[in-house]
Amino acid sequence: MKVNVQQVNLSNGNTQRRRRLLRDMKSARYLYMLIIPVMIYIVIFKYGPMYGIIMAFKDYKIGDGIWGSAWVGVKHFRTLFNSYDFYRILRNSLLLNVYSVIFQFPVPILLALLLNEVKCNRFKKPVQSILYLPHFLSWVILAGIVIQMLSPSTGIVNAIIKFFGGEPIYFMSSKGWWLVVFIISGIWKESGWGTIIYLAAISGVDAQLYEAAQIDGAGKLRQIWHITMPAIKPTIVILLVMRMGSMMDVGFDQIYMLSNDYVRDVADVFSTYIYRMGIENIRYSYTTAIGLFQSIVNLILLAGTNWVAHRLGEQGIW
Amino acid sequence: MDKSVRINRKKNAIRVSKGERIFYIVNYFILTLLGITALYPFLITLANSLSGSRAILAGEVVLFPVDFSLEAYYQITTAAKIFDTMANTVYLTIIGTLLNMLVTIMCAYPLSKKYFPGKNLCVTILTITMFFGGGLIPTFILMKSLHLMDTYLCLWLLGLFSIYNMIILRTFFSGLPPELEESAKIDGANDIVVLIRIALPLSKAVLATLTLFYAVGWWNSYMSPLLYISSPDKAVLMLKLKQLLDQSQLAQNHPEEIGVVRPVIAPESFKAASIIVSTVPILCVYPFLQKYFVKGVMIGSIKG
Repeated sequence: MKVNVQQVNLSNGNTQRRRRLLRDMKSARYLYMLIIPVMIYIVIFKYGPMYGIIMAFKDYKIGDGIWGSAWVGVKHFRTLFNSYDFYRILRNSLLLNVYSVIFQFPVPILLALLLNEVKCNRFKKPVQSILYLPHFLSWVILAGIVIQMLSPSTGIVNAIIKFFGGEPIYFMSSKGWWLVVFIISGIWKESGWGTIIYLAAISGVDAQLYEAAQIDGAGKLRQIWHITMPAIKPTIVILLVMRMGSMMDVGFDQIYMLSNDYVRDVADVFSTYIYRMGIENIRYSYTTAIGLFQSIVNLILLAGTNWVAHRLGEQGIW
Repeated sequence: MDKSVRINRKKNAIRVSKGERIFYIVNYFILTLLGITALYPFLITLANSLSGSRAILAGEVVLFPVDFSLEAYYQITTAAKIFDTMANTVYLTIIGTLLNMLVTIMCAYPLSKKYFPGKNLCVTILTITMFFGGGLIPTFILMKSLHLMDTYLCLWLLGLFSIYNMIILRTFFSGLPPELEESAKIDGANDIVVLIRIALPLSKAVLATLTLFYAVGWWNSYMSPLLYISSPDKAVLMLKLKQLLDQSQLAQNHPEEIGVVRPVIAPESFKAASIIVSTVPILCVYPFLQKYFVKGVMIGSIKG
């Protein structure tokens, strides 16, 4: 189509080209009827807030509006970079992500390897159903269950500890234990769901490879290591690379539901901090500045991971 | 031939059986353990919700309800009025999901076409929003200045569609055989007729998947309602649940301060019952979710 347009262009000049464009537009008029309302929506509700970013460089007052408020330059960024809070939320966001990559990321891979070796569907299907279920429940529900189970007075976990003669542990209010709870609850919610993509990759492996390996005397573990693992390696790599793109993001819901004042030092991240300062304390300009900082870092991370993905010969994100 | 293969297989099975059997036993054991671990939290919550306060406080509830009582459920339906909130959430979810599907289709179908003037511009406009956004506070201010605070319309507009889901659908649409469209066009059908009569009926499975994804998202939504919905009579389920969980926490620590809901039962079973009531609707659609979601995830991961 495009080549055609160019050829016509060379021979007959601009009028022909314009006529052709008009004809294409006319024949696509019903497509425009579909997509133009969506584009208008996107411009107002996705690009509109981008205009609001200039608040980060102003002292926004509700009465003056975004444009009417006074410019203050990088004052809010200076406040931000000079505050103790900033380094705390930056550290927490990075640390929670690092922990999650180390402890959560490998779990779906292991689970998929285990599930793949189950041949009996009457066992496999129920296990999968149970493991996938938490993905569909909200953090309000899951955190409610977790907090209740870990309660020092009536929780079942502390009941077991007490039964064996231990002292009850205040899981939710001790910083170290809270991190453990954060990671394990994350595993509980998402690792079952995470197996799907690996299971699909495994299902593409030629069954003959296993038979051949079996004849050569390879045990189950060696088969997994030498056949299944190489088959899912590209999937692992691309998911890991994409995971790196969100090293600054920690889901609001999980943190907000699980955290409390006792663990704020390790649990406060960008999203919760912006919520607390912006919505509860009405510091709009300051929190817009934080949001802008976060968006820019995210953009750099995404561009970086995309570049890496392309270098590895993968499709990348765009 | 057939026989020899079978014998061969049998021999094989015998030869490797020892190591393999240990492997399978260990594997089944681990998976059973993991399954129980993942399921147990729900079971104990269910048991707690049905138990009497004495048994809970004494720590006697381990798997089955002790001193069976429906008091907690009675409390959350009468004092906490959880069904009013649920009706709100059903309304939010149904309209929200319908709007989601409408807009996702409206966006995905044109973009699945090979060419129309301005397509690249649309793709660029959409792609930019995937990587950069105004952020929480500017969006909040925008909604405020449009006087949309404390309305469901505001929530629907915020979550009108997900670009990732749109890409799933677009990928599916572009995989449909072009001959069908061409022949319909020859018969005088325009793009919208083709979409409704041909493309949509052929995409039922993926449409069902996306509908379920969106619906679950609405049902579980917490952050947007927390930011944008303030009047109690518009509260949605997850907001209410969080509130109930916090309140019964308060009731436990300072029983004298409770003004809104006063559980006369153990806070544990009150909390457990509200958790169970909020979970049941998801459990009801879970079989459908399971049927479709694997497919949806796969289509999504092909391009995305």
